[in-house]
Amino acid sequence: MTLGACPHEKELAAFVLRGQWPAASTPELRAHVDACRACGDLVLVMQAFRGARNEASIAARPGSAGVLWWRAQLRRRKAAVESIGKPVLGAQIFALSITVAIAVALVASQAQYGLRWLSWLAQLSQSPAFHFESLWPSAVAMPGWTLMLLVSGLAAVALLSGLVLYLASERH
Amino acid sequence: MEYVAAVDAHRDPSLPMDNDAFAGFYERSARPLWAYLARVSGDGALADDLMQESYVRFLCAARPCDGEVAGRRYLFRIASNLLKDHWRRPGAASIEDLPEELFAASGASDQFESQTLLGPALGAMRPRERQLLWLAYAEGYSHREIAEITGLASASIRLLLFRARRKIARLLRTQIVPGRRQP
Repeated sequence: MTLGACPHEKELAAFVLRGQWPAASTPELRAHVDACRACGDLVLVMQAFRGARNEASIAARPGSAGVLWWRAQLRRRKAAVESIGKPVLGAQIFALSITVAIAVALVASQAQYGLRWLSWLAQLSQSPAFHFESLWPSAVAMPGWTLMLLVSGLAAVALLSGLVLYLASERH
Repeated sequence: MEYVAAVDAHRDPSLPMDNDAFAGFYERSARPLWAYLARVSGDGALADDLMQESYVRFLCAARPCDGEVAGRRYLFRIASNLLKDHWRRPGAASIEDLPEELFAASGASDQFESQTLLGPALGAMRPRERQLLWLAYAEGYSHREIAEITGLASASIRLLLFRARRKIARLLRTQIVPGRRQP
């Protein structure tokens, strides 16, 4: 399909947009428009649309700019509050999930000692060592890596939560 | 540009303009924007709603102040997207599938459309054609600018516009009402 573009279209469009058609145009251009279908269509359509635009612009009843301004301000504030709330919630969820993951890992790593622990717990009630003051030395006596794992896990949670909070608030 | 000069140097840099600059911009752009929305949608009340929403979104957009021409083009883009969203809602189908009669029979625009030559012919056009024709011949946007506003490919604008122009020119010449239009 040929688009039938005419080299005079730009010149014609400029005349119509300025409202100078046909008064300011040359007789040659007017004669060309009479003979050229594309240019004839262009002038007809542009004049109709420009007229409709003017007519509709008069019919428009725009409201107050101030009301729109304040509506936009309220929406911006609401969006800002939501954007602050989202990373905090995200960080809380992240911290909780990390804590759960570490707890699961800890339990899994200690599973091999489970049976030994159960028997230890069963004997604990009958044991003469079941006194509050005697618990502390027992905990110290447990394998040192367990306590280290617990402490390092908690430290990792705190560190990662802080990092997530910082990155999220920095981005917003 | 005028409103750029009026922008307060101490305002929030993420805002497109301050209150006074916006008032000036609104004064100059509201009527053409309403005309676009009302003529393309065929519904004056809808045009009111979409125009307000367009300005609110324009103000909320974190976009640098890069001139009135660009600002107006961006505003038309927001309005076009809102129109598209409106047409996509359930019951409206897609922009290409909407019947022309829906627009021709819309009561809100009949009051002023019936008084002009363009009304019946515009009512016989598809919404997408109305949109392209309005942007090109009422607003005087180039093909590249229309592509930016509508989100269509720049290469297809020329062909779509050519077809739409030929169609509406034929309708204008013959003054065919939508119910009796030619195949």
